[in-house]
Amino acid sequence: MKKVQLWSLIIIMIFATGCVEKEILDDVNLETAAGYDYIDKKVRGSALVPVFLPDKTVHNTVFTASSNLSRDFLRDIQRQSSDPIVTGSLEVVLFGEKMAKKGIVDIIDAFQRDASIGTDIYLAVTEGPSKKILEGNYSKRGNAIFISNLIRQNIETKDVPKTNLHLFLSSYYQKGKTAYLPTIRSIGKNKIEISGISLFKGDRVVDTLPAKQMFFFKLLVDNYSKGTFKVDMKTEKAAVESIRSKFKMRLVSRKPLTVGINIKIRAILIEYSGAKVTTKEIKEIEKSLNETIERECTKLIKRFQEKGIDPVGLGHFVKSRTRKFDFKTWEQTGYSNLKVNVKSDVMITESGVIE
Amino acid sequence: MRWLFKQQKKEGKKAETEQYLKKSQDYTQVSYINQVTNKKFTISFITTLIDESILQNDALPFLLEKPLENIEDVKKIVAIADVQISNDESEIEQKLFNGYVLVTLESDNSNFAFLAAQKEIVRNITTPEIEFSVIGPKEAFVESLDQNINLLRKRLPVKELIKKEVTLGTISKTKVAILYLENIANPENVQTLMERIKNVEFDAITDSSYIVQLISDNKNSPFPQLLDTERPDRVAAVLAEGKIAIIVDGSPHALITPTTLVEFFSSFEDYFLNWILSSFFRLIRLFAVAFSILITPIYVATLSYHYELIPKDLLNTLVTSRREIPLPPILEALFLELTIELLREAGARLPTKVGQTIGIVGGIVIGTASVEAGLTSNVLLIIVALAALASFTTPVYKMGNAIRLLRFPFLLFAELWGLLGILICFSFLLTHLIRLTSLNRPFLEPLFPPRVTDMKDALIRLPFNKQSRRPQFMRTKFPFRHTSGTNNQNKDIDE
Repeated sequence: MKKVQLWSLIIIMIFATGCVEKEILDDVNLETAAGYDYIDKKVRGSALVPVFLPDKTVHNTVFTASSNLSRDFLRDIQRQSSDPIVTGSLEVVLFGEKMAKKGIVDIIDAFQRDASIGTDIYLAVTEGPSKKILEGNYSKRGNAIFISNLIRQNIETKDVPKTNLHLFLSSYYQKGKTAYLPTIRSIGKNKIEISGISLFKGDRVVDTLPAKQMFFFKLLVDNYSKGTFKVDMKTEKAAVESIRSKFKMRLVSRKPLTVGINIKIRAILIEYSGAKVTTKEIKEIEKSLNETIERECTKLIKRFQEKGIDPVGLGHFVKSRTRKFDFKTWEQTGYSNLKVNVKSDVMITESGVIE
Repeated sequence: MRWLFKQQKKEGKKAETEQYLKKSQDYTQVSYINQVTNKKFTISFITTLIDESILQNDALPFLLEKPLENIEDVKKIVAIADVQISNDESEIEQKLFNGYVLVTLESDNSNFAFLAAQKEIVRNITTPEIEFSVIGPKEAFVESLDQNINLLRKRLPVKELIKKEVTLGTISKTKVAILYLENIANPENVQTLMERIKNVEFDAITDSSYIVQLISDNKNSPFPQLLDTERPDRVAAVLAEGKIAIIVDGSPHALITPTTLVEFFSSFEDYFLNWILSSFFRLIRLFAVAFSILITPIYVATLSYHYELIPKDLLNTLVTSRREIPLPPILEALFLELTIELLREAGARLPTKVGQTIGIVGGIVIGTASVEAGLTSNVLLIIVALAALASFTTPVYKMGNAIRLLRFPFLLFAELWGLLGILICFSFLLTHLIRLTSLNRPFLEPLFPPRVTDMKDALIRLPFNKQSRRPQFMRTKFPFRHTSGTNNQNKDIDE
């Protein structure tokens, strides 16, 4: 009996080996970045496939096909490729301006279902068609790695709020919250930059924040954020770098519905045009910084309320504090009538190495 | 009548033995006449086994010149301590081959004397070669049983150290000694071991490795279930823990049982170093084992099935290195693994000086050439070389061999099912290890079954004052290493 079991196990194992599909690394084409544009009432998909050259540089090849479905386009570009194109190493997905205004959730759905794609890939909106961005030549290590490093670097150390596929989907499906993505634009030949933040309503872009306001936006949506900001005072100019920020919301009153936002920032003074920085100057910088942050953040929230978007998640916050919360009335009147008090507390902990 | 028949048979035995022995030219039989009593006596011995100077200085002059009336007188006159008088003819063969000289008187046919005159050819005690340690004792066992037991008795001078001796092998008549401390070792273990050793039936046992294979719990396992060591200090230390040692005459390796898997990855030098250092080295060794077994299979699995697991910064390196290679990852890996095994085998069989050349030729020339020829990728070459290097960090040679063998089933499973296959293979390995026992004691202890006390000297080694108990899994008679119960706190004079 034991022998029969052993042999049947071995036989099953031998036959089961045929069920696994092999994807040997050098026998497949790795799609590392994808771009989607809306052209002539059709979705045009572009897949960036790097060709690794013997001298360790990367040649970027872009395959393009048009269709109505995201997956369809992959089937079409397979016909142009010598090796099967696989999606597992996808790093970044770009959406053209028009595509983003048309709605992107159908496309993102495909990524969400593909088990070989992680949820930590970056999504971004491009100014102009995304294919143009993919076709540039930015770094020897390949465009996909360049773009994804560009976004990551700016998230980790600068003003871009944290985004990826996971966070996008989470904000998208969360009631009382809307999604946002960074915007990328081409500046001259073989150069790109992050130009701002695209704000979504549902899966459509309705507004774009310029780079100037990204710092304040990040303060509102990220709990811990880093970033630099310039302060203009009466006579002098200063630049501070936030090293740590804390964001806290409080329901202040229900009638009228008021939310208090407390932003606590620990910052370093990195530049000052004056000769000497004393406690008095630091107090002044802190004061003017507090005023700017409060003013700009209130302005941002006003803007969101006018457009009917909620990237901060105020709706979600109020809902979590309210019994029998009604989203319909919230969307119609509640959100636009919401009062938001922003309070900022900046503390400059360092003012330079030499004092 | 029956008694007479027996007597005849016995006599026949002596005649038969002599008849056989006379065929060998190193058998000598000389007759002399005692000068005092004029009794004729005969001495017989095997020249290659006895020390002739003992015979000439301590036996013959006395036998010739002192009064020799009957066989009992031999005991009185010769200057040899070990003289045995016997009338059992069946002993003759064994005694002669153990280096005794047989003395018979012409007048007394039924009794005879044996004089001990063994020639001791013993290799000098040298430094341990396989388990070399920079610090600590530099003595290693040699091929003589008595010498080895002498090394042990010097380290454990207590009456509780018991030595039991069994002769094994129908032809080799190998002396096998079992040593244990009676006040500590679990009598059940001793009993089991004695039973197993007594039940061994084989013709020639030439080394302790034979014993390992003959008395192991699972004879089909690649893992050795008895620890072999050439260090008397290690044997002494584990005897004090309650383990049992087996020493085989003619073998410079003692065996220790019961043992556990983790003991194979602890070098005895660990006990000479500070506990932090030795714990670190042990962890490194365990990491090396895991690395050595798994890294090539992981390479094969990842490149064949799971390209999405490769970090984006590594993609370029991997793809470029494999671009020109016509072989799939599994063949590439097998080719390199087999090359390394060939090198090791060739290096082990060749004399030391030629062996070094093989290492250079193999490592550098074949490696570089196969990369340049586009047969293997340089990334895999590095991985395989590192894995081979890691497999040699195992302090016990036999375990190192088992580790190297394990890589091949893992490679096969990695090729068939990718990382899932590696996991399946690992489950098989784990099942095997959990089922494995050494002298009926769990082999994977203290990891499974978990024993917190024994963990203190397993993957890491805690300081000696934290180890007040002997290993638990053997159920020793006295589980404490010292009677006071305190943790050896240092006491200053003014306290």
